[in-house]
Amino acid sequence: MKKENPMQRSRTFASVLIACSVVAAACGGTAQPSAQASGQASAAAAKPTVKVASFNFPESVILGEIYAQALEGNGYKIERKLNLGNREVVFPALEKGDVDVVPEYLATVLGFVDKTAKGSGDPKETSTTLQNAVKSKNLTVLDFANAVDQNSFVVTKATSDKYKLKKTSDIATSAQGQLVLGGPAECPQRPFCKLGLEQTYGIKFKDFKPLDSGGNLTVAALDAGQVDVGLLFSSDAIISVKGYVVLEDDKKLQLSDNVAPLVRNDILAKGDDMKKTLNDVSAKLTTDELIGLNKQVSVDRKEPRDVAKQWLKDKGLVK
Amino acid sequence: MGAAGPVVTFLAEVYAWLMDPAHWAGSDGIPTRVGEHVQLSALALAVAAAIALPVGIALGHSGRGGFVAINVANIGRALPSLAILAFALPVAFALNLGLGFWPTFIALVPLGIPPILTNAFVALRNVDRDVIEAGRGMGLADSQLLRQLELPLALPVVIAGVRNAAVAIVATATLGAVVASGGLGRYIVDGLALRETDRLFVGALLVALLAIVTELAFGIFERVAVSPGVRLTRAAGARAR
Repeated sequence: MKKENPMQRSRTFASVLIACSVVAAACGGTAQPSAQASGQASAAAAKPTVKVASFNFPESVILGEIYAQALEGNGYKIERKLNLGNREVVFPALEKGDVDVVPEYLATVLGFVDKTAKGSGDPKETSTTLQNAVKSKNLTVLDFANAVDQNSFVVTKATSDKYKLKKTSDIATSAQGQLVLGGPAECPQRPFCKLGLEQTYGIKFKDFKPLDSGGNLTVAALDAGQVDVGLLFSSDAIISVKGYVVLEDDKKLQLSDNVAPLVRNDILAKGDDMKKTLNDVSAKLTTDELIGLNKQVSVDRKEPRDVAKQWLKDKGLVK
Repeated sequence: MGAAGPVVTFLAEVYAWLMDPAHWAGSDGIPTRVGEHVQLSALALAVAAAIALPVGIALGHSGRGGFVAINVANIGRALPSLAILAFALPVAFALNLGLGFWPTFIALVPLGIPPILTNAFVALRNVDRDVIEAGRGMGLADSQLLRQLELPLALPVVIAGVRNAAVAIVATATLGAVVASGGLGRYIVDGLALRETDRLFVGALLVALLAIVTELAFGIFERVAVSPGVRLTRAAGARAR
């Protein structure tokens, strides 16, 4: 007797669920084109639970929320694994199937998957190379967004005026050997940091000061004049808040680190409009949009969940 | 032999790192980093001593308020330096002192105060009361008692307090690298970031060496500064025990 009760309850619960999902299209709203309504409803019943992960930094959490809520808005059930860890943690989880969808950065993940792969400044090319690299792992790269989060070298307005700096190559012409560069400790050895600036641009710095990876120390050191050029990330809201001048990467040192969803093939096969949902998100996501999203979280102290919800609504991606 | 293999290889790497002339020049060279470390530690110690010595000596001399002072100072000892550093960072920003040197300095001073204050207080309290009575009987004024009797007798313990503070400060100044300070901590923090264990090891080694040198230097200073008579008494006391 005692054992049957919960069984019964769960069976009732299940039938309610099924009934609910069958009529979901009718319940949820009226925007579905009526010609497709019946097909949509039966697909909704079969929509899988999607495990959405993100890395352990705010921008990734926002992107994860956006993917999660966009999918939720299209009838998917979502298990959130946001703020999971760094790529060393998240990527193996994706390979094993512990998570299904991750907001990735094209060039960075390509370098992670295949150390020998040559990234490029062209996101299309990078995306194709990445797709070939992850095919054997049963992963798919969906459409990349225009939004890019890459290393950018910034100077204060005062420094820009003093040395007439607009482009990165200006450093070599008008401030050669006069500026102090600040960045993460590994910067002097990294091809996309000091090493690349020296080799690609022929820049010589007066000195290098180890700080952090585009964090508060770099900002503080720039403001205090302890460094002249700082490494920040292009989507960081602090750049516009502080009015820093981003030096244009005129010799295309940085690779195309566009945001793109990396998805497991098996989940993609189960959810037929999943690809379209995520591609629609990417289509609307520009670097400026990303900066705006980051600003709301890092400067205005809003919750990533609320920020994502509002953005999806504003862009007409969910109702 | 098999187990020793990796260790030997590692030590060879460390040796090669130390022998590389590039690591002895420029703003990240060993001489610069040692210089920064010594400069930071010395200033922090000087300020800590300037605060703690007068307070400790005054309280020890008068015998009043010592309990409160020592307990307040000991709270400073209980606070982790890393926490003080995190606290010092916004303070330094607010005062427009920038990153690195000054936040670390602000974190190091409270570390130096407790041992100096406590030792100074205890040293003066423990001066033999009979000696002080005798001094008073000889007509010494209060300030003369302090300068000519109490301080010379208390000096070894006072110096020991400063020495403890100095060693703690030298070892802890490493933390400054977390807030972009120079000094030997750079090798440790950057070695971690770069996964260069040889750099990390050299950093740790140099900090340890510097702490030992500091200890020895204060030992020599004590020999020079303490009156031979007091040293003799102490030696005799030690033998008696």
